[in-house]
Amino acid sequence: MIRRHPILSLFAVLLLVLLGWVWHERVNLQAFPDIIAAYTAKEYCSCRYVANNPAQYCRGYVKQYVPTSAFRDNPERSEVTASGLGRTHSARWLGERQGCRLLP
Amino acid sequence: MVRGLLCVALLLVTAAAHAETWPGKEWARGEPLAGPAVEALEAYAFPARDDATRQGVRTDALLVIRDGQIVYERYAAPTSASTPHLTWSISKSLMATVLGVAYGQNRFKLSDPAARFYPPMKQHPKVTLADLLHWASGLDWQEDYEYAPLKSSVVAMLYTRGHGDMAEFAAETDAAVAPGKAFRYSSGDSNILSAALRGMLGHKAYMSYPWDALFEPLGIRSATWETDADETFVASSYAYLTARDLARVGLLMAREGRWGDEQLLPKDWVAFNRKPFDGYKAGQDEAVPGGQWWLNQGTPRPWPDAPADTFAALGHWGQALFVLPDAHLVIVRYGDDRDGTYGHNELLKRVLAAVQP
Repeated sequence: MIRRHPILSLFAVLLLVLLGWVWHERVNLQAFPDIIAAYTAKEYCSCRYVANNPAQYCRGYVKQYVPTSAFRDNPERSEVTASGLGRTHSARWLGERQGCRLLP
Repeated sequence: MVRGLLCVALLLVTAAAHAETWPGKEWARGEPLAGPAVEALEAYAFPARDDATRQGVRTDALLVIRDGQIVYERYAAPTSASTPHLTWSISKSLMATVLGVAYGQNRFKLSDPAARFYPPMKQHPKVTLADLLHWASGLDWQEDYEYAPLKSSVVAMLYTRGHGDMAEFAAETDAAVAPGKAFRYSSGDSNILSAALRGMLGHKAYMSYPWDALFEPLGIRSATWETDADETFVASSYAYLTARDLARVGLLMAREGRWGDEQLLPKDWVAFNRKPFDGYKAGQDEAVPGGQWWLNQGTPRPWPDAPADTFAALGHWGQALFVLPDAHLVIVRYGDDRDGTYGHNELLKRVLAAVQP
C-alpha cells in the first residue's frame, strides 16, 4: 500500500494527525468562532457606555483582522450586538459602577 | 505660656501640611513643565495619529504628578480628563490595593489558602493568597492574547467558555507545577483573588467594597469595575478610571499606603507589593513581579533610565501607572498601542528629563 501509493499514504497519515489534533482541541475549536462577536460586542459596549467615547471612534477601536458580519448598537437599551464567523453575541450596560457585561 | 506653645504647635502642623500636598476634590497644580525636554517628551508620546493603520506610539493620556501636584497633563481626543479609560491589567494592582485595605482589617493572612475563602480552590488546596499575588499559583494557564487565540486562557475566560464565571474557570485549570515556586503571569490568578475577597466579606459588602475601602477615601469618583455574571469583579482586566483618579492610587502607593493622616494600607502590605518574588527568573516578563505590582529591579533593570525604586501597574496596549517614590513622581500613561513601537523606558527617560529643574 505505502509503496504503491506513497502520496496517498502520506495524506492518510496527515489526515489522521489533523483529526487527532481536532479531537484534542475540540473544546477550544468549538469556542473559537465566538471570540470575534463576543469581543466586539463587549469592548464596543464599554468603549461607548463606560468610557463615553463617540460611536464612530468605538467602531474603529474594536476593529480586528477577523471581520464582523453584522453590528447593532441599541442606545435605548444600551445593548450592543455583533456577529462574526457565524456566531452572534450581545453585551449590555448595567450601571455606573458595573459597566458592561457580555450576555450569556 | 500655654498660648505660646499652642502657637508653636499650630505653626509646626501648618508647616507639615505645606510640606505635603494632597488632592482634595481636585488636584492642586504646580509650576507646569516647560522647555525643550517637554517638546522631546511630546514628540515621543504624541506623534500624529493614524487611526486607519493604528501604527506607532498612540498615547491617549499623559499625566505627571510631582509632590502631589499636577505639573503636566495632556490628552489625545477622544480621551479627555473626564474619560474613565480602560486600564486592562492595571486592574490587578488595583485589586491588590483593595485587598491591602482588607489585610489591614485583618480579614486574611498572606499564608491563608485561597480555598479558605473560595471553595472551588479546594481542587488546589495548597495555593495561598501570597502565591496568587505573586502569579505563582502553579496552574497551567496560557496568557497569550492575540498571537495564540485558540489556546489562550485569557481569551476563553473573557469572551467564551469562562465569561460567566471567570474565577471558577481559572480554578478549574489543572496544576502544572507546585504552587509558590515559579512565576507564571496569569489573569486567572488575579480573578481567583477577586473571588477570595468576596469570601472574606460576603456578597453584599463585596459589591461596594472597592468604593468603600479605596475609591471613596481617595476621592475617586470616576471608577467603574465590571463584573462577570457571577458578580465577581473582573480583577484581571476591567477597571476604568480617569487618569487623574488613577494617579490618586499612585500617590497613595508613593506615600507608603498613607492618605493624609490615615494609614489606609499597612506599610508591610506596600512592602510586600514592592518585594521581588524570588521564584521569578530573569527575562520571564517585561519587569520583575512583586505582589501584583511590577518592579524596576534585577540586572539589567527593566527600565534602566528610571530609578531602581520605580514600580508600576501595567496593562495591555500601553496602559501604565508609574510610582517613583524618591523622585516624588507619579505618572499615568494611557494608550492604544497596537504594535511594539512604544517602550516604557523611553517614556520614563523623557519624563525624567522634563522634570529636571
